Amino acid sequence: MTEKKVTMKVFGMTCDDCVRTVSDGLKKEGADVLSISLNDGIAIVKIDDAKISAENLVKSPVFGGESHYRAQLRKVE
Amino acid sequence: MTQEYDLVIIGRGAAAFSAAIRASEITSNQAAIAMIGYGPIGGTCVNVGCVPSKYIIEAAKVANTQRNPRYPGIASSDPAVEFSKLMESLREVVQEERKSKYEDVLKFYPNITMYEGKASFVSRDTVKVTSISGEEHMKGYNFIIATGSSPVIPQIEGLEDTGYLTSESVWSLNDLPGSIGILGGGFVGLEIGQAMHRLGSRVRIIKRHDTIARGIESEVGSELIRALENDGISFLTGRKVRKVYRRGDKKIIVAEYQGKMEEIEVDEVLIASGRKPNVDGLSLGNAGVEYSDKGISVKDDFSTTNPLIYAAGDVVDQRYRLETLAAREGAIIASNIFNHSTKGINLQEVPWAIFTEPQLASVGYTEDEYNRNFGRAVTRVLPLATVPKARILREGIGMFKIVADEDTGRIAGIHVLAPYAAEFIIEGVTAIRNGYTFQDIIENSHIFPTVAEGIKLASQSFTRDMTKMSCCVE
Repeated sequence: MTEKKVTMKVFGMTCDDCVRTVSDGLKKEGADVLSISLNDGIAIVKIDDAKISAENLVKSPVFGGESHYRAQLRKVE
Repeated sequence: MTQEYDLVIIGRGAAAFSAAIRASEITSNQAAIAMIGYGPIGGTCVNVGCVPSKYIIEAAKVANTQRNPRYPGIASSDPAVEFSKLMESLREVVQEERKSKYEDVLKFYPNITMYEGKASFVSRDTVKVTSISGEEHMKGYNFIIATGSSPVIPQIEGLEDTGYLTSESVWSLNDLPGSIGILGGGFVGLEIGQAMHRLGSRVRIIKRHDTIARGIESEVGSELIRALENDGISFLTGRKVRKVYRRGDKKIIVAEYQGKMEEIEVDEVLIASGRKPNVDGLSLGNAGVEYSDKGISVKDDFSTTNPLIYAAGDVVDQRYRLETLAAREGAIIASNIFNHSTKGINLQEVPWAIFTEPQLASVGYTEDEYNRNFGRAVTRVLPLATVPKARILREGIGMFKIVADEDTGRIAGIHVLAPYAAEFIIEGVTAIRNGYTFQDIIENSHIFPTVAEGIKLASQSFTRDMTKMSCCVE
């Protein structure tokens, strides 16, 4: 297991429900959500990159298809 | 202090706006976007390209119809052309289009910040913006370079001292030159040349080759030259321009022709020798972006050799320089960035047109290209005069050429010289995009009488002798 801290910018969140939806979506992918800021859209999560890479996390269902949330990677530590 | 943006767009023309708007839509207006540029907002198309050229073409068409009415019984009269008034109205239209389609649009996107200045890369993810108020640095998580193109000015002795017009400066004219020598005969030269001729200028197109441009279906291009010569424009081909100088209030073009020098006296020289990508000053080397004098090299998804940086529109090293293509590329790049996709564009599905009269419109492979690539083209050419609507319009010069795959009958290219060709070439786009055969086109009902019906008739000519067909036969 290689634990990584991933910072991403999430677009499309407008309320606390959005934060919850994004948080649930990230958790479903196995991410440990540390923080999500509605103010600036910055989400910080921990992942086991043997299970999901940071690059795939920003393409997960909560950020694709019919969902109106999108994410861009900012930092992987 | 360095500012940070989710997306930095360098340029503010069609590709830039299209990318910025699409990125805003995808991110619910939450992507912080910087758009950096200088000069009139809107880029080439609205300011010095499609909009003013199509305006003057349509105006010139009205003057020409008055001078040369198509129908017996309608008398010819010389139009009183007040050129300065026409050009003033042209500039007003440009200003209105620029305001309504670019300046006013920005108010709907508070996430887009416009910067007036010149951008140059200082690293792989940061640009320095130089403006009259100083310098500032901007870091981008992604970039789109959409700086467009500019006219190529050939190195000809005396040209700079003599003075010349380009497709960008011609719109400032207030007096119609009595005669114009156009150096180069690409799309721009032909369009502006025919318009100026019809407004009353004597137009001579001076060029080395007797074809219009590379990539044009040769039979259709030759027919266009015939149509323009029939209109009254002179094509002086086989000429290599060696020198330009002033003699009194005239300009003299010295051209080498069959080993001898000849002088062509004109009132004005218009340069129409193509366009070059605007890469100067961008310091692309600092960002690791590869480019050549043809433009920025991009992969199928329009990313450059620096994966953070994409390029769209005329600045890209690609076959076409078209406003609609630039705008589509901008939108696709925005989607590739924010939807994490890798979409591209099949250039064989992209139509283009020359807005002369008749219009030349084209999509897909020429016969030569298809044979070179696949070795099995089958073609049919239908003269425009066989299309009933063309006879109603009393338009005799023109043709439809269809290139299809010999084995499958699938349409590979459609090339049309006809009135309104630019309006209906979309049928060719749909056919190529969907893999239609000429039989599929035949089975689509077409309206009679239309010029567009020529595409169906040309398709029918793959299987029938059209001289034996009655009107509207299916």
